[in-house]
Amino acid sequence: MKRTLVAATALCGLALATTACGGDTKTASDSGPAAGGQKLKGQTVTVAAVWTGVEQENFQKVLDGFTAKTGAKVAYVSTGDNFATVLGSKIEGGDSPDVAMVPQPGVLKEFAGKGWLQPLSPDVKGTAEKNYAKIWQTFGTVDGTYYGLYFKTSDKSTVWYSPQALETAGVQPPKTFAEMLDAARAVSDSGLPAFAVGGADGWTLTDWFENVYLSQAGPENYDKLTRHEIPWSDPTVVKALTTLSQLFGEDDLLAGGRKGALATSFPDSVAHVFGKSPKAGLVYEGDFVGGVISGDLGGKVGEDAKFFPFPSVDGGPAPVVGGGEAAVALKSGKNAKAAMELIAYLATPEAAGIWAKAGGFLSPNTKLDPASYADDTLRTAAKSLVDAGDTVRFDMSDQTPPAFGGTPGKGEWKILQDFLRDPSDPKATAAKLEAAAAKAYKG
Amino acid sequence: MSALTRNKVPSAPAGGTAPAAVRRRSRRARVTAIAFALPALALLGALVGYPILFSVGRSLFDASGDRFVGLDNYQEMFTDPASLKAVRNTAIWVVAAPAVLTGVGLVLAVLTEKIRWATAFKLLIFMPMAVSFLAAGITFRLVYDQDPQRGVMNAVAVAVHDAFNDSSAYPGARPRGTDVMKESGNGGFQAVAQAEPGKDVTLGLVGLPPASLPQQARPAAPAQVSDDAVTGVVYLDFVPGGGGTPGAVDPQERGLPQMAVELTKGGEVVATTTTGDDGSFRFPDAGDGPYGVRLPPKNFAEPYTGIDWLGPTLVTPAIIGAYLWIWTGFSMVLIGAGLSSLPRETLEAARMDGASEWQIFRRITVPLLAPVLGVVFVTLVINVMKVFDLVYIIAPGPVQEEANVLALQMWLVSFGGGNNQGLGSAIGVVLLLLVLPVMALNIRRFRRSSR
Amino acid sequence: MTVQTAAPRPAPPTPPGGPAGRAPGRPSPAARLVAVLRGGLVQVLLTVVALVWLTPTAGLFVSSLRDADDNAGSGWWSALVHPGSLTFDNYSAILGDSGITQAFWNTVLISVPATAAVVVLAALAGYAFAWLEFPGRDWVFLVVVGMLVVPVQIGLLPVARLFGAVGLFGTTAGVVLFHVAYGLPFAIFLLRNYFAEIPREMLEAARMDGGSEWTIFRKLVLPVGRPAIASLAIFQFLWVWNDMLVALIFAGSDAQPLTVALQSQMRQFGANIDVLAPGAFLSLIVPLAVFFAFQRHFVEGVMAGSVK
Repeated sequence: MKRTLVAATALCGLALATTACGGDTKTASDSGPAAGGQKLKGQTVTVAAVWTGVEQENFQKVLDGFTAKTGAKVAYVSTGDNFATVLGSKIEGGDSPDVAMVPQPGVLKEFAGKGWLQPLSPDVKGTAEKNYAKIWQTFGTVDGTYYGLYFKTSDKSTVWYSPQALETAGVQPPKTFAEMLDAARAVSDSGLPAFAVGGADGWTLTDWFENVYLSQAGPENYDKLTRHEIPWSDPTVVKALTTLSQLFGEDDLLAGGRKGALATSFPDSVAHVFGKSPKAGLVYEGDFVGGVISGDLGGKVGEDAKFFPFPSVDGGPAPVVGGGEAAVALKSGKNAKAAMELIAYLATPEAAGIWAKAGGFLSPNTKLDPASYADDTLRTAAKSLVDAGDTVRFDMSDQTPPAFGGTPGKGEWKILQDFLRDPSDPKATAAKLEAAAAKAYKG
Repeated sequence: MSALTRNKVPSAPAGGTAPAAVRRRSRRARVTAIAFALPALALLGALVGYPILFSVGRSLFDASGDRFVGLDNYQEMFTDPASLKAVRNTAIWVVAAPAVLTGVGLVLAVLTEKIRWATAFKLLIFMPMAVSFLAAGITFRLVYDQDPQRGVMNAVAVAVHDAFNDSSAYPGARPRGTDVMKESGNGGFQAVAQAEPGKDVTLGLVGLPPASLPQQARPAAPAQVSDDAVTGVVYLDFVPGGGGTPGAVDPQERGLPQMAVELTKGGEVVATTTTGDDGSFRFPDAGDGPYGVRLPPKNFAEPYTGIDWLGPTLVTPAIIGAYLWIWTGFSMVLIGAGLSSLPRETLEAARMDGASEWQIFRRITVPLLAPVLGVVFVTLVINVMKVFDLVYIIAPGPVQEEANVLALQMWLVSFGGGNNQGLGSAIGVVLLLLVLPVMALNIRRFRRSSR
Repeated sequence: MTVQTAAPRPAPPTPPGGPAGRAPGRPSPAARLVAVLRGGLVQVLLTVVALVWLTPTAGLFVSSLRDADDNAGSGWWSALVHPGSLTFDNYSAILGDSGITQAFWNTVLISVPATAAVVVLAALAGYAFAWLEFPGRDWVFLVVVGMLVVPVQIGLLPVARLFGAVGLFGTTAGVVLFHVAYGLPFAIFLLRNYFAEIPREMLEAARMDGGSEWTIFRKLVLPVGRPAIASLAIFQFLWVWNDMLVALIFAGSDAQPLTVALQSQMRQFGANIDVLAPGAFLSLIVPLAVFFAFQRHFVEGVMAGSVK
């Protein structure tokens, strides 16, 4: 594509699946304590990220910290979930922010490829080497150049449950997928459907698949499949789908059955378990489920809601699928020096600590004191992520072409939804996935 | 009915008599004319004219725009499953929506002539025309919501259904595994083992929240075993917090009262009974077996949850329904205007001759209205082809593809993640081709009327 | 106005025997009874239709007045029994959300200029096509007539690239320009036909008096054309106000109108009906106000615009 602008900006349409194309612009208050150095006083750095609502407020606190430290003003711009589209149009339109928090490796790669990104300074690099596991630096590197500093991460291998539901059913948090199925049956026998699945949002299904696949087929196959070096019709994929169908195939195990699951959005699926009148006992999704529970539902994470790590499948190691946002400096920004300062600040445990205390945040920063986290649950998730070290894998659908792994009603999302509707033929599903992938990777 | 049928192009302003002055004036007039028309024409040329040419050209290149692919994009439109589905759905829309709308509009227009509050009625039906497709879409997402507690359509469907069907006492209850009982079709369960008088049948069920048991349920106890009766117990085989022996009656487990039980012999039901408060049942005076024991489906029927309006099969008709809600006012008012200009004398004469209202409607009203109906129909066809927002808003993610139409697919492939501008342009061109006949018709009508 | 409205002609004198207008030859009581019954049936039928038409909007409105828990727990119709639980909290919340109020304001910023520009440009061009001579006038006008039915979809991609090249992409001005361009064919068509009905003598007289074309346009044509211009303005305003597709593509994040802001909330439908319902209603208020204030013009505008 030559005219990238149209391609990128027009993608605003992705908003169907995601949240908004727009957002508020807020300027960090400059009335903060003028304690630290004021070496950047009078300068303004603009930061763009996908966060809105509570997450935006918490990030704002982090930015306020930077203001207090350096005297620089920070203006925050929310892109909504159409990060690439919105940012692409801003860059082309000459209204580029200085720093962007890139949510997907695919986008990082795309931006780097277009020459939009400034390599991180040796200073930042040095801090990162001290504070981060190697894998997180690798995720931020494109063709040998380090562009993206991972500030916020998520652990997408957490299965959330209502302790009461498991207690009523008389089961313990399972360690293997088979045990999880038994536990699910026990919960369902107790009169409460086991799993709430947010099937109306295709991405929850891709996350299910990725965890099963990573554990069952192993990291190497996972990487190959991510790069489409093995086809989706590969036996490992069929096997993972077959494993999933043991859960999706039993109407009794899903809240509302398969039909109900397909009509359930992600927030609804969390509300089904942790809302006022529970319709299920467990829900699988990343650590951000905790944010929904404590935010929207007013529940207490750690008491009303706990999680166990996604169990291992067929004897493989338990999967750790991660995601996250990387801070990058944009060449088109107006304030390169302050931008790099801000990224250096984000690499410090101090910056991570501010958000960690506010909740709904995991940091890959090994120097961050675990005591900073707001609750034990997050602490556990953070630990598993940091401990997993180099076996962490990034969310696969975030790395595939968006037409395959990131578009509602299309590609992997759509095909896995069809699979949830009728999980009887994993082989046919795999073939459909391959057909869609072949097309998307070619284009 | 549209403006284009009834205007005359004025003949050119008459030429003057003083040639030089006229020439000077006419040159100045020409400059003025161009100054007046140019801003609009420039905009039209740049944003309407040029895009048509560009799209036609772009549609012959691949997604990246670098490679000439001839008509491949057009071919893909009719082979790629998602686009093909969009083509099919657009066909359904074009065939169904304008016809139904014209019909309903005609009927309502005729009927409103017979009421006093016609103006209020027309206003009400016409109101949705002022509403955006987005707001209408949100409104109808709510109307069609799957949950009968939210969606009014399913609330009605459930109310109607429940008025004719009894609800069951134990929806969702089922045996643990298939060792003791098996599904007997229609949601009932059949004991695997054969029953004999003098032998006790123990039927444990699970999948019921203990709190949902009827008040009168007491700890499960088998009926007194006797030689001439088939006896047994139906109970909730589940102890909160785990423990208990699956398949056996544990002390904390309660019976399931008022459960219908059938005794069968050779597949025929020979006796029926219901369980007591402790879950026990008893078929007295049973001769020699073997018998089968069955828990009929009526115990377990899941509560009716309504119709899957926005499921893959009904989603397009459902969206067309929302479209009807918006556009009926349009066809009704236009046809109503046509009706009011019909020659009353003809209708009265027919009535005098003793024609029935139906005959008048069919033989006189409809033929006389044909031109109006034609305009309404054609207008709707054009509008239906461009329907985008409504499908985009109402169809939930998982069935978007099943509800897809060309106008939406064009947007999806070019902007919404597909990024294939070649295919997108091809779809745009096809949409344009589809309206070409109407364009030609408009131009012809206009030229005729201006002659 | 060039279009006929639904105003019925004066009805011919009805024969004695009632409005049902049965043939006077057979006024048997039975026939009259049948007629009355049939009339009653029509009344009932149309009442039902009216209720069905009202229900969706009523549902949306009532839902917008209930808090999230109520909406999750029971249908909006249960609020009809317990009206005490209704609240304006959702509206105050949404009006306190800077994103939504900004979007509302953006909608105004798009609709008003787009309407004004279409009216001005189309009036100028319409007058030129009707009364001024220039080479190729009739042919050009036929092309404009042809453009009446061009679907906006064909313009999306090329115009996006065009705007990208000149820096208009993502701006309010870009959205406005697009709307103006696609509103023009109908607007020119409508106004040209209306202006063409102005009596020639009137214009000739003004010209003889030495008025320039610009003066004639301002002092004579515009005032005479007011009814058509009003219909056009209302129609164009509503079209732009209600648009989502164009804004979805051309409006940047800070320029997005209410429709786009609301559709971005659609994903979590069940979870946030308390935002969507009042938001949708907010977007309805202006069109409905316009609709009820200018019913006649609106109906005429839509009918005239039916060729679009």
